[in-house]
Amino acid sequence: MMKKLQQLGYPLFFIVMALLPVGLNDRWLAIATTFIIFTIVALSQDVVLGKAGMFNMGQALFFGMGAYTSAILNAHFGWPLLATLPVAILIPSIFGILLAGPIIHLRGDYLLVATIGFNIVFVQVLENNLGGLTGGPNGIFGLQMLTIPGLAFLQNFTPYYIALIALLLTLLIFRNLETSKAGRALHYLREDDLAAGSIGINTRVYKIFSFGLGAGIAGMAGTVYANQYSAVSPEAFNFIQSVLFFTIVLVGGSSVPGIILGVFVMFILPEIFREFATWRYFIFGFAMIFAMILRPRGLWPAKFGRIPKAFLEKG
Amino acid sequence: MDTFLQQLVNGLTIGSMFALIALGYTMVYGVMKLINFAHGDLVACSAFVGLFVFSQLLGGKTSVFVVVGVFLITIVIIAFLGLLLERLAYRPLRNAPRLSAVVSALGASMVIENGIMLLWGPQMRIFPELIPMITWNFQGVVLSLIQIIIMLLSMVLMVGLYLFIEKTKIGAAIRASSIDQDAARLMGINVDTIIATIFLIGSALGAVGGIFVGLYYRGITFNMGWLYGLYAFVAAIIGGIGNIPGAMLGGLLLGLFNAFIAGYVSSTWANAFTFTLLIVILIFRPTGILGERVAEKV
Repeated sequence: MMKKLQQLGYPLFFIVMALLPVGLNDRWLAIATTFIIFTIVALSQDVVLGKAGMFNMGQALFFGMGAYTSAILNAHFGWPLLATLPVAILIPSIFGILLAGPIIHLRGDYLLVATIGFNIVFVQVLENNLGGLTGGPNGIFGLQMLTIPGLAFLQNFTPYYIALIALLLTLLIFRNLETSKAGRALHYLREDDLAAGSIGINTRVYKIFSFGLGAGIAGMAGTVYANQYSAVSPEAFNFIQSVLFFTIVLVGGSSVPGIILGVFVMFILPEIFREFATWRYFIFGFAMIFAMILRPRGLWPAKFGRIPKAFLEKG
Repeated sequence: MDTFLQQLVNGLTIGSMFALIALGYTMVYGVMKLINFAHGDLVACSAFVGLFVFSQLLGGKTSVFVVVGVFLITIVIIAFLGLLLERLAYRPLRNAPRLSAVVSALGASMVIENGIMLLWGPQMRIFPELIPMITWNFQGVVLSLIQIIIMLLSMVLMVGLYLFIEKTKIGAAIRASSIDQDAARLMGINVDTIIATIFLIGSALGAVGGIFVGLYYRGITFNMGWLYGLYAFVAAIIGGIGNIPGAMLGGLLLGLFNAFIAGYVSSTWANAFTFTLLIVILIFRPTGILGERVAEKV
């Protein structure tokens, strides 16, 4: 039953998402696009926090770095947004690796504080308009959006479908990660990194790998974000955002459905109940406490792998 | 030279506030190994409660009794909130995975921060001038009565706390619980009571810190808790988290560092420098200046 649901779940999800724009007006189309982008960022956070078990509270940094890379290349150097995508994936990845290198040995909370530190430094650098490129507190606006030749009449829908393609790519990476050597290594790392090291997993390499991969995916989401709003500004990437992504992964239980649910609750519900906007975080705060008391492992806890049938039959 | 002395005075003042707030973090971390993210918001809450007590309960006229009253009533209210926080958000998660407690702490922080906003509104409020604005000018270096009171009172409270932790029976129980909770329990220490005591003391000190923030900076906003909380947490790490004299030292050092950055470089870069310092310290000496070397790798 459960397996059938899983097999059906993803195609169904994508069919629904692909048809969704037909029934949405402009405002809800923008909200749906944002929903997809934040889902990608939350999934990228999950690579580091959920899969590898490292307390990273600075994922908005890499998201922002991707967005700003695209924005700077587009606004100052005239690159089309699509051409900036590889750079916007590569630069956050490299920074993820470089930044993670020296702090990767830190335990739990110390790593968390160090990543908060990186995020705060990053936002302040953006706000101070380093090198005259980042545009200061207002950010960069007036970017040229992606256009698909011959489909100009569908321009309203392009940001949405580009985001959806990015989500599909991310989920493919996730699927491969789950069934690959690297994915298993990360899983052991999360369970017990000392034991993982003693069975021959190079923990340092895989920890840095997870940071690099997470940063790359977040960078991709950044380009999509820059494309949707055709603008970037520092406050979209401050560490409060990181806190939200961190929370979504843990409350969701670091599984794909859990994370989608988390993003939905955190970003879509407030749009539906707009009259309660000022109560939003007050209620979320209580919800977070109760969710953790009642389900400490998250609302929809991830299960890793399956025991192959052959093993079960042989006992 | 004038800039140097002036920034020294300013640095020691804000350092004293950081130190007072940092004590709350470091004591909780010492025993529970949990970053109490809500502590900074309790500090912000204290400034608002102080404002409320002064203008609504005590009539809004300054006198020595009123000022003492504002301090005492605010401390009691915030200490009670601290106890409530521990009881509702942390105690049910004592045996849960660590990350669950972190999320709960973040949730508690959101509740307090937005509770302040719902009660007092999102706009900046001006803290009353409880202490008259008297200043002395020593050859270009300005020193105000508020600064002297902040430094002296912080010093008294910190020395008091140090003596309490080192010389009393409850202090010994707190130290024992922070070394090994299970062993402490086997020795007949009620660890739950100790944790409640820590929240009580930490919140009370944070309340004083919050009133100081209001007195010194005057403008208070509902979301300022994050910033002061993070600064105080950095101070606790610099000194060696879990270490009480370390938090005092870390607070003063961070205050001086901040003041000199603001005086000699630029105040718009203060956060970036502070957090770079934090990362450098975490890389090279994660146990802080006074932190003991522990067997467990950090």
